[in-house]
Amino acid sequence: MRRLTPLLIGAGLLLVTAGFLLLGDGPEPSDDLASVEQSLRPDTTSRSTISTDPAPPISTSTLPPVADPHQPPEEAKPIAVPVELKIDAIGLTAPIGPYGVDERTGRMAVPDNITEVGWYRFGPKPGEPGSAVLAAHVDLAGLGPGVFFDLATLVEGDLISVAYADGSKVDFRVVARGLYHKDELPLDAVFSRQGPPVLTLITCGGDFDRSVSRYDSNVVVYAVPAAGPGPMSPERSSVGTIGRQRNSATHH
Amino acid sequence: MRKMIVLFGAMLLALAPATSAVAQTAEGQVVVVHGVPDLTVDVYVNGDLTLEDFEFGTVAGPLTLPAGTYELEVYPAGADPSATDPALSGSADLPGGAYATIAAYLQEGGDPTLGVFVENNSNIDAGNARITARHLADFGAVDILANDGAVWEGVVNGVGADIEVPADTYNIKVTAAGDPGTVAFDADLNLAEGTNTIAYAIGSVAGGTFQVVANTITGLQSAPDGVPTGTAGLAGTSSTPPLLLIAAGLAALTAGAAGATVVARRERA
Repeated sequence: MRRLTPLLIGAGLLLVTAGFLLLGDGPEPSDDLASVEQSLRPDTTSRSTISTDPAPPISTSTLPPVADPHQPPEEAKPIAVPVELKIDAIGLTAPIGPYGVDERTGRMAVPDNITEVGWYRFGPKPGEPGSAVLAAHVDLAGLGPGVFFDLATLVEGDLISVAYADGSKVDFRVVARGLYHKDELPLDAVFSRQGPPVLTLITCGGDFDRSVSRYDSNVVVYAVPAAGPGPMSPERSSVGTIGRQRNSATHH
Repeated sequence: MRKMIVLFGAMLLALAPATSAVAQTAEGQVVVVHGVPDLTVDVYVNGDLTLEDFEFGTVAGPLTLPAGTYELEVYPAGADPSATDPALSGSADLPGGAYATIAAYLQEGGDPTLGVFVENNSNIDAGNARITARHLADFGAVDILANDGAVWEGVVNGVGADIEVPADTYNIKVTAAGDPGTVAFDADLNLAEGTNTIAYAIGSVAGGTFQVVANTITGLQSAPDGVPTGTAGLAGTSSTPPLLLIAAGLAALTAGAAGATVVARRERA
């Protein structure tokens, strides 16, 4: 058993936060297309508290590689549909299926079993710009632990492999893990279709209310393509900029 | 050439949606639809040649323009605007943030006119698409069916409507109102999630020029309302200790980050 250690998700969460979670506090949806587009743009002012908060000493050498949104691949090869998820760190291998929206609840439709991972088919595919969402059950009444039962134990640096329908595979590296009360899950950011590629794995967690058979929180793991260009110069991305200022102190 | 002066200002203002709470942007978007058969035109906006040799059945745009009032003049292609009367002219108010269609089209009976329509570019619920139908053809009232179910009945020339449906491919039929045997249009349309597909029926049924042209507004999607992924409570009662939350410090740190609470302890067996 690995030693219990604080995981300060500095670099990871802030990496994601800077370029990505910022989207969560955009203006309320409106009937105004232009302001809709504005709301999807990172707001570089609303999180100024992040960079001023005291941070542990860090070394930039542990920055995870991040895909550079300004340098898309030379070959614009279309990405195929994801079909299998593999996370060696938690012994997970599971099929991925396309899922949309539960029309009754308006929530993301998820596999009605404990073995399959659901990909939000209206959003990006893993590796495409924006947040590709893979959701699966932590458990299901009567069926037991789900395929994402151990998702909350992933730590920064763990590798996640996605296999696609065309036989290709892409590795992603965990950069952050968060626990959000369900009322506070930054849905617009989690389901964003813009920004650098982020793979977002979601399951349930937190306190379980037996009276309604419901967890009160979502566990969210953020990963970025492992084969990114490496540490970025600060001016190339606000993500990289803030990531350099705060990094994680992960102890193994 | 028939000369028609049409003033749209008041009408457009009446059509404009109620101002939302967010600040209005200073620009709007415009698409231009050419629905008058057998007439290739040049379109002048505020006296400037904006669309040249614009042909029937074409949708141009969207053009992003500052909000304001625009003078529109439509001339036969190649005509000298200083020596010719416009075939059609009018003015249009473009509210900030609006997405408007300007259409030259036939009224029922065949007279051409110029119309300005503000499209519904509000956000669409996750998983859904919007379809907008605009009857801009020389034809009587129509019924519009999706997968053989009536969506709109008795739609007359100059009228449009929109509806939100689960994103999917639908068979769309346009028939004479109350006469399902007279089919003017029958095709499968893929309505992509988060988009508004605007279908303009143009031309003349009697003249054999009837057709439907489409334009799509993208980027109107919304996020789902949540991610329900657990019903057994095993994660809280298993041998894995409960997730430790650094409530005060990191929650404060991330308070701006949509209230995220950071999981702060490694708990891998």
